Amino acid sequence: MSKNNESKNLDEKLKHYRLSREEYERMTSLLGRAPQGVEWALFSALWSEHCSYKSSRVHLKNLFSQSPHVLVSFGENAGVFDLGQGERIAFKMESHNHPSFIEPYEGAATGVGGILRDIFAMGARPIALANYLAFGDVDANRMSTLIDGVVRGIGGYGNCVGVPTITGQTEFHRSYNKNILVNALALGLFREGEPVMSARANGVGNLIVYVGAKTGKDGVHGASMASESFDTGGESKKPTIQKGDPFYEKLLIEGCLEVMRAGIVEAVQDMGAAGLTSSSFEMAARGDVGFKLDLDKVPLRDSTMTPEEILLSESQERMLLIVRPENFEKLKAVFSRWNLDAEPIGAVTKGPHVELFWHGELMCRIDPKILTYQAPRHERPFDKWLPRHRVLNIQEPSFGPDRGDRFDQQTPNELLNILTSPLGSSRAWIYRQYDQRVGAKTIFDCDESVGVVRLPDSGRQLGLVLGGRPHVMRFDAYVGGMDSVAYPALELAAKGFRPLAVTDCLNFGNPENREIMTEFVASLDGMNELARASSTPIISGNVSFYNETMGENITSTVTTGLVGLGDPILDESSHLPPRSSFQSVRDELYIVESAQLIFTGLQGERRDHSPSGQGDLRAKEVAEFIQVVRHLSLSRAVRSTRVVGKFGLPYALARMCTAQLGARVQWQPPSKQNWFSETLYQVVFAVDSDRSFEWRELFNKLAANLNINIVRLGEVSDGSLAFEGENRWSVPTVKLRQAYETPWEFVP
Amino acid sequence: MKVGVKILPKNEVLDSQGRAVENTLQHHGHKLSGCRMGRYVVLDLNETEKSRALARATEICEFVLYNPLSETYELEVLP
Amino acid sequence: MKPVGVVRFLGTNCDQDVFDAVAAVGLKPKWLWYQDQFDRRDLAAVILPGGFSYGDYLRSGALAARAPVMKSILDAANHGTPVLGICNGFQILCEAHLLPGVLLKNDSLRFRDGWVKLRRVGEASAFCNVKESVHLPIAHGDGRYYVEEDQVKQLFDDGRVWWRYEQNPNGSLDSIAGVLNDKKNIAGLMPHPERAMFSYMGGTDGRDFFTSLAL
Repeated sequence: MSKNNESKNLDEKLKHYRLSREEYERMTSLLGRAPQGVEWALFSALWSEHCSYKSSRVHLKNLFSQSPHVLVSFGENAGVFDLGQGERIAFKMESHNHPSFIEPYEGAATGVGGILRDIFAMGARPIALANYLAFGDVDANRMSTLIDGVVRGIGGYGNCVGVPTITGQTEFHRSYNKNILVNALALGLFREGEPVMSARANGVGNLIVYVGAKTGKDGVHGASMASESFDTGGESKKPTIQKGDPFYEKLLIEGCLEVMRAGIVEAVQDMGAAGLTSSSFEMAARGDVGFKLDLDKVPLRDSTMTPEEILLSESQERMLLIVRPENFEKLKAVFSRWNLDAEPIGAVTKGPHVELFWHGELMCRIDPKILTYQAPRHERPFDKWLPRHRVLNIQEPSFGPDRGDRFDQQTPNELLNILTSPLGSSRAWIYRQYDQRVGAKTIFDCDESVGVVRLPDSGRQLGLVLGGRPHVMRFDAYVGGMDSVAYPALELAAKGFRPLAVTDCLNFGNPENREIMTEFVASLDGMNELARASSTPIISGNVSFYNETMGENITSTVTTGLVGLGDPILDESSHLPPRSSFQSVRDELYIVESAQLIFTGLQGERRDHSPSGQGDLRAKEVAEFIQVVRHLSLSRAVRSTRVVGKFGLPYALARMCTAQLGARVQWQPPSKQNWFSETLYQVVFAVDSDRSFEWRELFNKLAANLNINIVRLGEVSDGSLAFEGENRWSVPTVKLRQAYETPWEFVP
Repeated sequence: MKVGVKILPKNEVLDSQGRAVENTLQHHGHKLSGCRMGRYVVLDLNETEKSRALARATEICEFVLYNPLSETYELEVLP
Repeated sequence: MKPVGVVRFLGTNCDQDVFDAVAAVGLKPKWLWYQDQFDRRDLAAVILPGGFSYGDYLRSGALAARAPVMKSILDAANHGTPVLGICNGFQILCEAHLLPGVLLKNDSLRFRDGWVKLRRVGEASAFCNVKESVHLPIAHGDGRYYVEEDQVKQLFDDGRVWWRYEQNPNGSLDSIAGVLNDKKNIAGLMPHPERAMFSYMGGTDGRDFFTSLAL
C-alpha cells in the first residue's frame, strides 16, 4: 500500500471515529503504538467533547467550587452540599439538547432519567426536578411538535418515576429554531446517616456488577454525536436514539438505595453517555485500579451485538456497581425483590490496565487514565471581553425602542400583547402536565417564581430556582453570565431563602469559532465572579458545545439551578414565604432597587431593535443587594414579592395581579426610558400597611451606606392595574389574567 | 404457536386517542368517517395445536389483557 | 387500634406519602408488599396509594389488580374492612372489579396536575368524617371515569357516587371523581388527600379522609 493510500485510509478512519490528526498523534504517543481494534471506538467516545470536556476543561478548573459545606463537587456523578443537621443534598443539571431535537419525547424523557440516575448514584433519594427549555419561534418548522413532545416526555418520565417537577423556565428565540435546549435538573436528599456514595472503584478482587435493563443497540455513538454539529437536521442520525422506561428506573432507584443503605455496595456509577465504556474506564481511573471485564457476560437484549456495540450502547436504566464478593448474594436478593437482575461482569484488579475479554479472549488492554485524565485539552482561541451594546448616556435617543414604547395610547394594549405572546404568557399549560406534588413535600409549586419543598426531618424549607436569561446573554455575554447567578439568587432571596450553591449547564455553539469561545469564557467569568461574590459555590454542571446547525449557532446560553435554604415549618403557625402574587387590598407597594444597568431588554428584541443599555453590574454590590432583599423578605410584614425581570416593571406588576387584585401605582418610566425596558436589579414588595413603618425602618437599617434605593409605588387595589401620573392608564385585572392565561397549546 | 390479540375500545366508549388521530387526519385533508385506536399483542404460546392455543389466548385475555367494560378483542393465529 | 395497611406494588410512588399521612393523624401505618398475603383480622383498614404501578403499562391498574396481595384485599373487603384506593389505587380497584367502572385516558390526552373542588354525593361508611365540599390536588393521566349508561343512574340512585368534581378536569362521566361499592366499605377517589394534610401543602381537607379511619 502506498503512503498516500495509507494516509487516506487513516483520514477516513479518523473521520469515522470523529477524531482529529492531532488527537491521533496524541493517542499513538500515549499508547506507544498505533491504536487497534476496539480501541478506536473507546477513544472516539471518551475523547469526545461530551465525555472529555476537552474545549472547556482549562476554563472550568477556575470555577469557584469550594466551601466548607461542599462535600463533593466536580468529578463525581453530582455535587453534594451539606445543609447541617444531618441533611445533605445532591444536585446537578444536564443538557439533552441533541437527542431532544431528533426525537423530542424520548430525548427529553431520557434526559430526565439520566439526571435522576446521577443523583441516586450518589446515594440521594431524588425529591425534586426542574427543567430549562429553550425553543425556537413557535411557528418555525417542527417547533410545535418539538414543544409538545418535550413537555410530554418530561412529564411521562418524571410523573411515572414519582419525582415532582417544582420549577422551570421556558424561553423562545429564533436562534433555537434548529437546535432546542432541554436542560434537566434533579435534586436528591440524604437524610441523617444515609451514606454519600462515590464512583471511585476500589478493592482488588471486588466484583463489577451490572444492574438494570439489558443492553441493546440504542444510542451507539451517542456521545460522539452530541459532540458534533447538526448538518442535515438530524433525520439521518435517528437510529442512535435511546428509549427510556421510567417504571424500570423507579425499581432501580428503590433497589440501589436499598443496597447502598445496607452498606453492601462499594461504588456506583450510572451508565450514561458512552455507556459501559465511560462508566467502567472512569470508575477504574478514579480509583487508580484496573478492571477485568467479560463483555460476553453483559446481559443483552439483542444477541447479535458486537463487543464494540456493547461497549458504546446507551441503553437506559443501567448501573455499574462495585461489590465485595461476600456481599454479592445479599445484593442480588435485594435487586430480585425489585424484579431486577444483577450480573457480575468482571472484577477489580491491581491495574493499571482495564482488560476487556470476549469469550475468554483478551481483546483490549489499556490504561484507563489515557482515555480519561489524559484526554486532550484544547486551548481554543478567544478574545478579551469588551462590553457590548452600551451607549454612553441613557438620555440619548439611541437608547432603545423609543417610538411606540414611550407613552402613547397603545401602551395598555402593548402590555396585553406581551402577556398574550409566547414570550410573556403563562407556562401553566406546560407545568400542569407535570406532577408537582408527589412526595408530599411541595410548598411552592410551579405557579410561584421559586419551587419550595419541605425537608421532612428538620422541617426546613429548600428553595429551587433556575436561571440564565438568553436575552441578557444576547445583550452582553459577561453580564449574562453574572445574571445567570444574580437573578435566580435574587428570586430566592425575595422569598427569604439564603442562596447556597449553583449547578450549571453551559449551552454553546461551535467552540472552534473564536466568537463563541470568547462568549463562553466571558460568561463563565461573569458567572464565576458573581458566585464568588455571593459565596454560592458552583458544585456541578455540564457543558454542551456544538449547538450549531448548518453554521447557525444558538444564543450562547448559560443555564443555572440554584438551591436556597429557608426557615423551618414546624407547625400550622409557621410563617410561609411571601407569595409571587398580590394577597391583600391596601398592601403598600415598594420597589427596592440597586439600579446598576438599564437596557432595552426583551421588548427591544420583540420590536427588532438592536440592544442597547447603560451601566455595568458590580458583583459585590449585587451580592449586597441579594442579602438586603433576603432580610427584607423574611419580615412578616411582607406578603408578596417579585423580582422585576423581562419586560420591566409593568409586566412584573401585571403578573402579580390576580383575577380580583390589582394595583394603583404612581410610576412613570424615567425620562427617555420606555415602559418595558429592564433594570438590573429591582424587586417589588407588597407590605402589610399596618406594619409598613417597622419594615421601612428595617430597610433604613439594612441599606445604610449601600447603593440601594427604595421607592414607594402605590398600593394593592381592587379590579385593575392603574398607572397614575402624567400619562395615566389602566387595565382591568380580568383582562390581564385572560391575556396571560391564554392557552397556546400546540397540537402538532 | 403465535396468537395475535387485537384489542380495540368499544364503539360506545369515547376513544380520545382515536378521535385525536382522526381530527389530525381530517385536518390534513384525508377523508374518513372514523378512527379507533387500540393495541396489538403477540403471544408466543408453547402450544402446537390451534384450538389449544386459542383457548389459552382467550384465558389470558379474560385474565388481564382486555377490560370488558371498555374494550373488545379478537384473536388470530399467526403463521 | 389495629394498623392501617398501605399497599406497595412495583412502581407505586405515593406509598410513602400515604404512609406518612396515616401516621400524621396518629394512626399506625403498616406496609403490605404486593407479593404477600395478609390476615384481614390484623388490619383496621387498607389503602391502595396512587402512582404508576407497573408503569401504567397495558392499562393503568390492570397488572397490579392481579397481584397476590389482591386476594387478601378481596377477602378483607368482603368482610367489611374499609378499603380506600387513591388515584392509581382507584384504577386498581376498578380493574379488580371491586368497584364499578373504569378510568380511561383524560379527554385532553394529557396528564393533568392541579387543585380541584369536589362535592360529596354519597356517603362511605368508613369515611363519615369527611366534609361536604373539599379542595384537593389531582395528578393523573387516566382519570376519565366511565361506566355504561344504564349503570350511572343506578350508581346515583344507590348513593354509590361518592364525589363529583365541581369543574370536570378530565371528561369523567357526570364529573364523577369517586365511587363506592354496594356495601360502601370500598371507596375509590381520583384526587390525592395525602397531599392536603397541612397548610403548607396548600390545604388541609385531606386530613379527614385519614382521621375518619380512627372512628
